[in-house]
Amino acid sequence: MDVLITDDSGFMRDLLREILEEDHNIVGEAENGVEAVELYQEQQPDIVFMDIVMPIKDGIEATDEITDMDPNATVVMCTSVEQAEQMKDSIKAGAEGYITKPFQKESVLEEINSIAAK
Amino acid sequence: MEIDIRELETYQQLAHDGARSAAQSLSQLTGIETRVQVTDVSLMSPSSLEYEFIGDDFAGVNIDLSGEIAGEVVLAFDDTARRAITDTLVPADDPEKKKSSIKEVGNIMTSGFVDGWANYLEAKIKSSPPRYIQGSGKDILPKSATDSDTHLFVFRSRVEASKGAEPIDFRILLVPDSTSIKRSLEPKTDNIVSLEKLEVFNDMTKEGAEKSAANISSMTGIETTVNISRLSLMPIKDIPKEVGSKRYVGTVMEFRGKIGGYLVILFDQPSGRAVVDALVPMETDKDWGETEQGALRELGNIMTSGFVDGWANVLNGEIKHSPPKFVADTGESILRPITSKLAQTDDHAFMLDSNIQTDGNQVFTCQMLALPRRAELEDALDELLLENVGNSQVNPEDLF
Repeated sequence: MDVLITDDSGFMRDLLREILEEDHNIVGEAENGVEAVELYQEQQPDIVFMDIVMPIKDGIEATDEITDMDPNATVVMCTSVEQAEQMKDSIKAGAEGYITKPFQKESVLEEINSIAAK
Repeated sequence: MEIDIRELETYQQLAHDGARSAAQSLSQLTGIETRVQVTDVSLMSPSSLEYEFIGDDFAGVNIDLSGEIAGEVVLAFDDTARRAITDTLVPADDPEKKKSSIKEVGNIMTSGFVDGWANYLEAKIKSSPPRYIQGSGKDILPKSATDSDTHLFVFRSRVEASKGAEPIDFRILLVPDSTSIKRSLEPKTDNIVSLEKLEVFNDMTKEGAEKSAANISSMTGIETTVNISRLSLMPIKDIPKEVGSKRYVGTVMEFRGKIGGYLVILFDQPSGRAVVDALVPMETDKDWGETEQGALRELGNIMTSGFVDGWANVLNGEIKHSPPKFVADTGESILRPITSKLAQTDDHAFMLDSNIQTDGNQVFTCQMLALPRRAELEDALDELLLENVGNSQVNPEDLF
């Protein structure tokens, strides 16, 4: 699958890339919500891993914009936030999955595999 | 039980004045120069209080109070302070007389501490004869603290002194009994909070800190636990001094939503290095370069969520936090810009202070300080429904 990774932390982007690149194609890395929207338009990835807390534009707003542009977009939140209200906001914005940090490699692979199987 | 926060501020000030008076007594008796660093009033568990007296051999006095304020006062000198006092007052090698000098100094100082309260209340507060105490941890705690398994209201003063070039340290604790607290803090103004809700909020904060400690362990493999967790009310200007002049690395975040304020995560330098080494599996800068800063920022991000998400879930709302800002400086310098902002609207603040350490020793330490904006915390406590307390954890699978 073509994957776009969005996280303001280079450390976390590296970690996700390491987990995913063996079986998937990383088409880009965004450091904030604005870059994520731009890269989504350019690359049209199959799946976006999206952090929530980011500078300039947060991940929920970026997800909202991406799913407005492309109702078939697949966005999985990948965040440390474990608040019910922000999970609900993510669902409203169009997110299809939610992984909480710190995560295990298996939980990321399980999520992407279950989406690939749909 | 509802308590009046303005009254609590008054008692905090009385405790501070009392500590200054006690410190002056020590200076007069021994010639040792003293300075009251900070006085706060904290809500904390006995185990958190016990942890403050771990790691050194303390000596001092325990005095029972009765009358308008009943409870116990403990005045404890660290080992350096004890030696400085006894060497000045009893130069001869006479252990009994040295012990007696500590008892007398403690007695005089405690009177200085308590008399201001009695004068303010225009009432009598009687003191028992001093009991000599020595040891660490539980040995030093007031008996009422070791017998209790509920939260304690503790007035804590830390005094720094210097004998020549050698810094010394002593602490004064006043643990009033519940009847005295009820009587002293009964609502007189509109600034009222529920004591039960403060206790619940303190418990939620400890849970949050435990989640953050688990996150550190999960990311770094360093097993950590929360040793101290307390909610304190103190003058905002004293907060930087409370954190002290030691150098730290860490992150600062602002949070907004159901409660707004700041969260500061501080690692002492060796602990910060240990965390980065565990997070970044390659040779890193000895200084704090972009890779090291990025790793600490991400850890700060995850720890912050662990810390505040429970509050948001119980309050049925959102708390959003800013991306973490890396800091490397003395504790005082890190805290000063934050306290300057808080001081624009308040003179006292609640500080939620959690201390995360490795199990069994003190090689790794991380301090998490939350400084909510006071009005927002008070509003949140008003809204807090005690029956929601079990809702602090949410599983995304229940929603997705």
